[in-house]
Amino acid sequence: MALAKRIIPCLDVKDGAVVKGVRFKGLTDVGDPPSLAVKYQEQGADEIVFLDVNATLAGAETLRAAVQKTAEQLFVPLTVGGGVRTFEDVKTMLRVGADKVSINTAAVADPLLITECANAFGSQCVVVAIDAKRVGDSWLVHTHSGTRSSQLDAVEWAKEVCERGAGEILLTSMDCDGVKDGYDIELTKSIVRSVSVPVIASGGCGTIEHIVEVLSEGEADAALAASIFHYNELSVRDVKSLLASRGIPVRWCG
Amino acid sequence: MKVTVVDYGVGNLHSISKGLERAGAKIQVSSSPQEIAGAESIVFPGVGAFGAAMESLRPEASSLREAILGETPTLGICLGMQILFETSEESPGEGLSVLKGSVRRLKAPRVPHMGWNNVSCSSDDLFEGIGADAQFYFANSFICSPTEKVTISETVYGERFPAAVRKGTVVGVQFHPEKSGEPGLKLLANFIRISEGSA
Repeated sequence: MALAKRIIPCLDVKDGAVVKGVRFKGLTDVGDPPSLAVKYQEQGADEIVFLDVNATLAGAETLRAAVQKTAEQLFVPLTVGGGVRTFEDVKTMLRVGADKVSINTAAVADPLLITECANAFGSQCVVVAIDAKRVGDSWLVHTHSGTRSSQLDAVEWAKEVCERGAGEILLTSMDCDGVKDGYDIELTKSIVRSVSVPVIASGGCGTIEHIVEVLSEGEADAALAASIFHYNELSVRDVKSLLASRGIPVRWCG
Repeated sequence: MKVTVVDYGVGNLHSISKGLERAGAKIQVSSSPQEIAGAESIVFPGVGAFGAAMESLRPEASSLREAILGETPTLGICLGMQILFETSEESPGEGLSVLKGSVRRLKAPRVPHMGWNNVSCSSDDLFEGIGADAQFYFANSFICSPTEKVTISETVYGERFPAAVRKGTVVGVQFHPEKSGEPGLKLLANFIRISEGSA
């Protein structure tokens, strides 16, 4: 028996449609959230991540509706993030069908929010998203969809959010995101080795080999990818069969 | 079969309700302990924390216990399984004490136990039609430690612990069947069948 490494397609959602950009910019429309989510579920996705790239309160109603419609058709976990600012926002997302809620900017602004949510809803549904960008020898945490740099060191911040009750870290390398040149292995490994919660690696996936690399060498518990799945370059099933052939434990779905 | 899904005031109840509906059940979501105690069949979902969940049930804890022990078919999922036991390291205070034993923190290098894991093969009706190699979705930091023989399936993550328990019509699963794709939906259907059989 072994816990399977997870393959997680990510839906970046803007104004109710799934989009994909490069290095957090230049978005193009690739489909509607519920139908993509269901397609990935059928391919064997272990989880779906749904990120609102608008991250604006104005978009909140659209986001709630999209989450609800997506959740109604999913029998695998759904994580929702982007624009989640308050305890009430987290509660609302859970009520409309999210299993986990991811917070980034709000956690940096008010770290107590992490503990408050963990106490009320359980650590297992509190995901802290860390957008990290290399500066010299380390990585700095960025907020506001990657537009603002904080002074927080990503490794130190990862340790802190775990102490405060986060149940999982969704780690995105801003340097690698959308470039399809591979995940940031060094960053991923540094975070994985500093914390005792599961880490989802994100940013940079272009080939199945990149996923193999981040799950083995990078030691991540899960790999998140968007464009390789959206553009039908690969199916989740393709990824899993290669991982299985390399001896990486995966959940097998026919 | 009408199933009452308990609402502790937090978390996602959609998936479990939909999963049970697929199995042919009619769903009533309720936060009234009185209503729950009078239900045909009860599901305690797996969202929230031990203390907060028990807080919402406390006013009617004893009538709930009586109803469950009086053979109202009951399914506890994750946290919902844990509150069927007597105590938990997660929060002070008593659980529903329908099952003997306690809940303690999982000992593993990485906690929560998050993701899809295998469970040991079970001959119990609850697992009928589910392959021995089926994997289920777990998201737990705590595990149940029964002091009576109720474990029907186990899993291993850091240590060996119960994946499912059953005592008559009382069933608990540490994983989330409503998040476990086809085998999970099959398990929910089996629970409904067990409930109907006891009616």
